[in-house]
Amino acid sequence: MLSILAGLKNPIMNGLLLGGLYGIVGIGMSMIFGIVRVVNLAHGDLVILASYLSFVTLSIFKVSPLLTLVLVIPAMFLIGFIIQYYLVNRVLGKDMNPPLLVAFGLSIILQNLLLLIFTPDARTLLTDLSITTLPIGSFLSIPVVYLVDFILSLVTIFLLSRFFSKTYLGKAIRAASDDEGAAELMGINAKRIYAWAMAIAGGTAAVAGVLVGMTFTFYPHTGPDYLIIAFGVVIVGGLGSLLGTFMGGLILGLAQILGAHFLGPGFQLISGYIILLVVLAFKPTGLFSKG
Amino acid sequence: MASAFSKRLYGIAIVALALASFPLWASRYWVLVALLFSLNLALSEMWNLLAGYSGLISLGQQAFVGLGGYTLAVFSMYYGFPIWLSILIGGMISVLFALLISAPIFRMRGVYFAIGTWTVAETLRILFSNWKYVGYGMGLFVKPAYTLSFNTIFYAALLMGVASVALVYFILRSKLGLGLMAMRDDETASETLGVDIFRTKLICFILAAGVTGVASGVLYLHNIFIQPFSAFGIDWTVRLVFITIIGGIGTIEGPIIGSLIYVILQQWLSEYPSVSLLILGVIAIAVILVAPKGIMGTIQERLGFEILSPRRK
Amino acid sequence: MANNILRVQQIDVHYGDFHALWDVSLDVEEAQVVSIIGANGAGKSTLLNTIAGVKKPSHGTVQFRGSRINGIPPYQAVVEGISMVPEGRRVFPHLTVLENLEIGSYTPKARKRKNEALKKIYELFPVLEERKDQLSITLSGGEQQMLAIGRALMSWPQLILLDEISLGLAPVVIKQIYQKVKQINAEGITALLVEQDIQRSLKAAHKVYIMQSGRIRLEGRPDSLSQEQIRKAYFGLSDLNTKPEAEKEL
Repeated sequence: MLSILAGLKNPIMNGLLLGGLYGIVGIGMSMIFGIVRVVNLAHGDLVILASYLSFVTLSIFKVSPLLTLVLVIPAMFLIGFIIQYYLVNRVLGKDMNPPLLVAFGLSIILQNLLLLIFTPDARTLLTDLSITTLPIGSFLSIPVVYLVDFILSLVTIFLLSRFFSKTYLGKAIRAASDDEGAAELMGINAKRIYAWAMAIAGGTAAVAGVLVGMTFTFYPHTGPDYLIIAFGVVIVGGLGSLLGTFMGGLILGLAQILGAHFLGPGFQLISGYIILLVVLAFKPTGLFSKG
Repeated sequence: MASAFSKRLYGIAIVALALASFPLWASRYWVLVALLFSLNLALSEMWNLLAGYSGLISLGQQAFVGLGGYTLAVFSMYYGFPIWLSILIGGMISVLFALLISAPIFRMRGVYFAIGTWTVAETLRILFSNWKYVGYGMGLFVKPAYTLSFNTIFYAALLMGVASVALVYFILRSKLGLGLMAMRDDETASETLGVDIFRTKLICFILAAGVTGVASGVLYLHNIFIQPFSAFGIDWTVRLVFITIIGGIGTIEGPIIGSLIYVILQQWLSEYPSVSLLILGVIAIAVILVAPKGIMGTIQERLGFEILSPRRK
Repeated sequence: MANNILRVQQIDVHYGDFHALWDVSLDVEEAQVVSIIGANGAGKSTLLNTIAGVKKPSHGTVQFRGSRINGIPPYQAVVEGISMVPEGRRVFPHLTVLENLEIGSYTPKARKRKNEALKKIYELFPVLEERKDQLSITLSGGEQQMLAIGRALMSWPQLILLDEISLGLAPVVIKQIYQKVKQINAEGITALLVEQDIQRSLKAAHKVYIMQSGRIRLEGRPDSLSQEQIRKAYFGLSDLNTKPEAEKEL
């Protein structure tokens, strides 16, 4: 029994750390879903777009991938704003389908654009961190890059929560998401606020993209894989709280790694999918939702 | 009963007959175009039945594409079943699978349903990639298909295309169809009038699954080679979504126009598949922004007529 | 004659095909309290929403301090100096009392004087200061109404629109709130009230308009209108027969 548990400590640790990465991947989608009530089917592709932008920056400037955030975050910020302001805002209305389909179209456009520009070759944001592991005492050994992912995720989510509780824009976003009409009566231009929210979601996608690129290889069509992860994180963690989304990430990460541990590496993704399907079928508002 | 078989239906029958004559005079290229057109038409009419009429945006129809194709491969090769029987079994297996997942899947609404169906398809993709029985991710060759002539496959495809249009047409003119139209207008109100929403949606979902499975069987007669990555890939849904949006969601003729545009675009840009998808995506977004009812939908709105009217007259 | 801070001239408002307001005109003088009375569906809220910019009139004009405001979006109306307390209060449930008030001073001009405004609101409604860190949904109906009014005042409006503020509140609480409205008006802020409660309106207002079926049936100072006139206008009865007529009695 003890040996089984002992054998589990690495998978559990890795699962939690990976979950941190998943958390930051899901935050952007959680924001848009909760605020604008739109599921951004292009979110995964935006994350991968950020990975490619980082890749380009790396090729030009030869710096550490984390440093590319200086350029990638503002770029994704702008892209997010433009997408919301000029595209999604145009189709916001009572019908849920047009924004969904526009996002779908965007997803396909992004994937094929990346394919044309970068070819189908696998890429990665190489860094020494990617291959080193950190021994903790004599009984744990974790990949450093997972740790970096986890810490950066936590930091980003913390900053985001401060933004929402301390700044005027953050409060305005929360107000608009509570009651768009009442917010407009306060002088808030709801459509513009949604664009800012999407910009911020783009910023989180930037962080997620760089971390993903540092941790795994990516291709132009990797986007949908992370879309399902983001969706899983949001559904499992529930809408309405950043912390809940982060917890959703942890659960998903754990499920995947433990699934792989017990069933084999081919089943890593499926373990996550099963959890997602179960939660979707029985408590779609999420395990930690505020309701 | 003459009203049921109006002039318009005769018009469609004429087009179908014209297409059927292709092998006699048209080049192989055009027969191929007609073949692909017919199969895409079948798949998108089904997607349209779900998304345009039943309010079910499914991003997971590729599950049935894969199931249909693999059934054909496995039954005809491993068990020596006749090809056409294998294809029909593929349809049945799709129907059974749809029934199997219907209980949990129908608990999901709207976008949750969409992602749920997509996840199911992805799960199948991974399962098949890891399954020794079907050759893992390396795929299978549908060897028995070699014995068929190209024209035979073409006629099978044409049959599927025509059958799918006819199926949708007659469904909509039936009592089930009345329920669908009522649901489309106002789901809650229709329920109070006695429309069993769950049953209506379920029937459409299962029918769509079956037809997709069978059409996929015919498709893989043509493609010959099947592997999980492409058979269960999201690309199928991408095409269906774009075809239906551009052609006109919620109209019977929409997928006809959409499939035509898609196949021609795809052949024209066959050297550059990503470019054709890219262009398709741009057109689709433009359509949603500017003319959300698609080509046929906008025409119907402006001119006030429908070629294949689901309304009983 | 004192300034007309608000002038609504012959507006028609539609909801799709539904004709909600017919040829409605209104004049409000600065620092007045004006009441719009009418039964459910009379069009009072529609009128208020049109002034606030939430609805656009299909005909006619709305002028505020001399400039045309019909057609400007609601977030622009706030900048012009019009603030609305919407029907049902509509405080932001996931924000605290303080955050709700802060959102009230979202516009740049108001933001500069936020602390000054907060002080005044707390003086006016001490209970809001007590509960400032509580989530707004934990407040009672009366307290939420006060919050909604306080929030509207944070933008330093010259005209405040109050839509059915007595809805769902106990008489004692309603009396309190109307006292506060009087206080607010005493500071020079013009108030345009929509009310179903006739007596309350007559007591509080300098001028009343009575609406029925999307039209103004009667207007005047409360003390110059007879009960009979008011009753007829409220229910849309005319002198000649019992069918509603499109007549304005002055």
